[in-house]
Amino acid sequence: MKDSLTLLSRIPAHPDSRCWFLAWNPTGTLLASCGGDRSIRIWGKEGDAWVCKSVLGEGHQRTIRKVAWSPCGNYLASASFDATTCIWKKNQEDFECVATLEGHENEVKSVAWAPSGNLLATCSRDKSVWVWEVDEEDEYECMSVLNSHTQDVKHVVWHPNQELLASASYDDTVKLYREEEDDWVCFTTLEGHESTVWSLTFDQSGERLASCSDDKTVRIWHQYQPGNEQGIVCSGTDPTWKCVCTLSGFHTRTIYDVAWCHLTGALATACGDDAVRVFEEQPLSDPQQPTFTLTAHMARAHTQDVNCVAWNPKEPGLLASCSDDGEMAFWKYQRPEAY
Amino acid sequence: MAAAVSPFSGVVQLTDLDDYIGPSQECIKPVKVEKKPGKAATKIRIEDDGSYFQVNEDGESQKLEKAKITLNDCLACSGCITSAESVLITQQSHEELYKVLNANKVFDSASQKLVVVSVSPQSRASLAARYKLTPLDTAKKLTAFFKRLGVHFVFDTTLSRNFSLLESQREFVRRFRRRAEDERALPMLAAACPGWICYAEKTHGSFIIPYISTTKSPQQVMGSLVKGHFSERQRLRPDQIYHVAVMPCYDKKLEASRPDFFIQEHQTREVDCVITTGEVLKLLDQEGISLPDMEAAPLDGICSSLPEEQLLGHAGGGSGGYLEHIFRHAAMELFGIQVDKLEYKPLRNKDFQEVTLEKDGEILLRFALAYGFRNIQNLVQKLKRGKSPYHYVEVMACPSGCLNGGGQLRADGEASKDLLHQVERLYEAVQLEKPEMNKDVCRLYEQWLGGPESEQAWQALHTQYHPVEKTNTAVFNIKW
Repeated sequence: MKDSLTLLSRIPAHPDSRCWFLAWNPTGTLLASCGGDRSIRIWGKEGDAWVCKSVLGEGHQRTIRKVAWSPCGNYLASASFDATTCIWKKNQEDFECVATLEGHENEVKSVAWAPSGNLLATCSRDKSVWVWEVDEEDEYECMSVLNSHTQDVKHVVWHPNQELLASASYDDTVKLYREEEDDWVCFTTLEGHESTVWSLTFDQSGERLASCSDDKTVRIWHQYQPGNEQGIVCSGTDPTWKCVCTLSGFHTRTIYDVAWCHLTGALATACGDDAVRVFEEQPLSDPQQPTFTLTAHMARAHTQDVNCVAWNPKEPGLLASCSDDGEMAFWKYQRPEAY
Repeated sequence: MAAAVSPFSGVVQLTDLDDYIGPSQECIKPVKVEKKPGKAATKIRIEDDGSYFQVNEDGESQKLEKAKITLNDCLACSGCITSAESVLITQQSHEELYKVLNANKVFDSASQKLVVVSVSPQSRASLAARYKLTPLDTAKKLTAFFKRLGVHFVFDTTLSRNFSLLESQREFVRRFRRRAEDERALPMLAAACPGWICYAEKTHGSFIIPYISTTKSPQQVMGSLVKGHFSERQRLRPDQIYHVAVMPCYDKKLEASRPDFFIQEHQTREVDCVITTGEVLKLLDQEGISLPDMEAAPLDGICSSLPEEQLLGHAGGGSGGYLEHIFRHAAMELFGIQVDKLEYKPLRNKDFQEVTLEKDGEILLRFALAYGFRNIQNLVQKLKRGKSPYHYVEVMACPSGCLNGGGQLRADGEASKDLLHQVERLYEAVQLEKPEMNKDVCRLYEQWLGGPESEQAWQALHTQYHPVEKTNTAVFNIKW
């Protein structure tokens, strides 16, 4: 396990500030980072080195908490504590801010594009989740304002191939939404975490969702369609999401992020104990009661809280992480041989 | 809807107006402390009954006053804001109505108050659906019920809505005619929805206020009418009347509490108390009465002593019909075009619809309905980017408008849609009338206001709005 995660490089991405979040573009050639310095940096590889290709500095008045690439890779959305979300359009190497989405009462915590690229979700400390629709002229209109959570909403993520949205909150729950008639509705609430749920990630198939929390656990939720063989009860035509595995005892502090690699199935976590960990499902474990094993543990991956982990979508095992220390690191993950 | 946890409209919730836990962390209401001379206190003692005593060095103790936050404080503050249930209960609830009615039973005649209840047609339709009654039967039985409780007069706010509609029509034409010299004359935005007004003042303040119609809502016109004209006719001072409005909406309580609707000279509000349709149901339950079992009482008329035996209503939907009336009036007044039927075209969703007036392929008027927070958002953002094509927008905070207000009677799940359709049907099952044709209204314009467009009409039928400055206190309690 010791050598399963090796450091490739370490870069002071947002010096003298926090580096909050990282996002790979769909082709895995560019990495966007954002931070407390109110800037977004775009990183690309030149030879063996990762270099800063551009800095997007003029969009926001306060911390940029998260960034997300559109599925086509031509747009980048940024969520900021200044209560706005900016949409940046990529022209060659440059980025231009083409829209500023206003409406949230206060800090926007997360932003995510639907797989179609026509919908965008944002969430905020104002407890709401918004779904926006994009038209051909880069005009964004609010389709829905969802007030299901009772506290600050930390994260939003879309299902990899359906128009299904998930959100995580300070109210300790995860909520799932779908479209109904001309609005969006919350159709289920996943309860189980004992403290703030910080982040969410779907696996490649979208059958499973992993959530990580301030309660120091990761939970794996499995989707059961109505009429499933296991006899899990569903209400109406909506699937039921059931917790099939809880990873506890591995993390010593809050887990801020979790990322499922869609190429290898490995699950990485970012933790407040400065460590990066990787888990894998045991090959012969029962899919209804899977067992996950810790396959990599980099204890001092960073000198402060690790905020984010992101798998490269094209290169298996290439993992990026970033931290409160302002740095980002690139890691090579190699599955231990016992697997 | 799961959001039923809170009674306020979605818009008000989003501006943090509703917070059950009590004054939220961002409440910046400065609590006034009467400083008394003397040595600094050393201790605060809390008694078993929850009262606080300040104990000084000599062991003398003094009871401390409780800090009270009123609805007015909440409206004036951009921080938290709470309208914790306790705040509402102290000023605006059916319990408060009971207090006044009970006091009337024990006070001498000089201290008694004349109690007037004004019922909105939306509340009436909701109750009619619940009890499977016709609107007229509902009105008559409701009148009997309130009178049994000790209420003296029961009116219908449809009467005051005539004024709101007529004033809105005239206001629109004035604005349209000065659109060339005043870029903020149009679009005119409806003002009858207090949830929308509250949101506009707190979130978009001085940017949006010039667009909002200055015409008072039917509730507040009724307030002027009852505490002005009606009190004079009864030879009473405004403060000798206790005026209750029955509304489909909790936000109407906030509207009644606005300082603009406080009659300084007589230290009384135009509307003293607002109770929701749901609270009427509570009153009925508390009295152990089922509405169908009540006898039918004759209806009260505010103008004549003759009881009115017919209910009247306005065309244009359950939110008052502002768009419809202004559209017809403007088409005729500005372009000489008689509009027979309005074609509502749903755009993004059923709560965003458009109506246009065309002539020779040119669009002369473009109006819209924008109900619910998401559509309000898009409207405001378009306006900010200078991309709003509208001349008038009927803005309402609740999805589906006032018949679906937060104070209406609810059903669960699928049944809620059926119920809403039923309420809509009952709401429309009255004789429609054009406000211009109402003889009482014409007479009142003359007798009460000295004619339309008079100074007194302006005083009684229009209001103003106030931007609420944002105080950024968020910095102190950030949760990442």
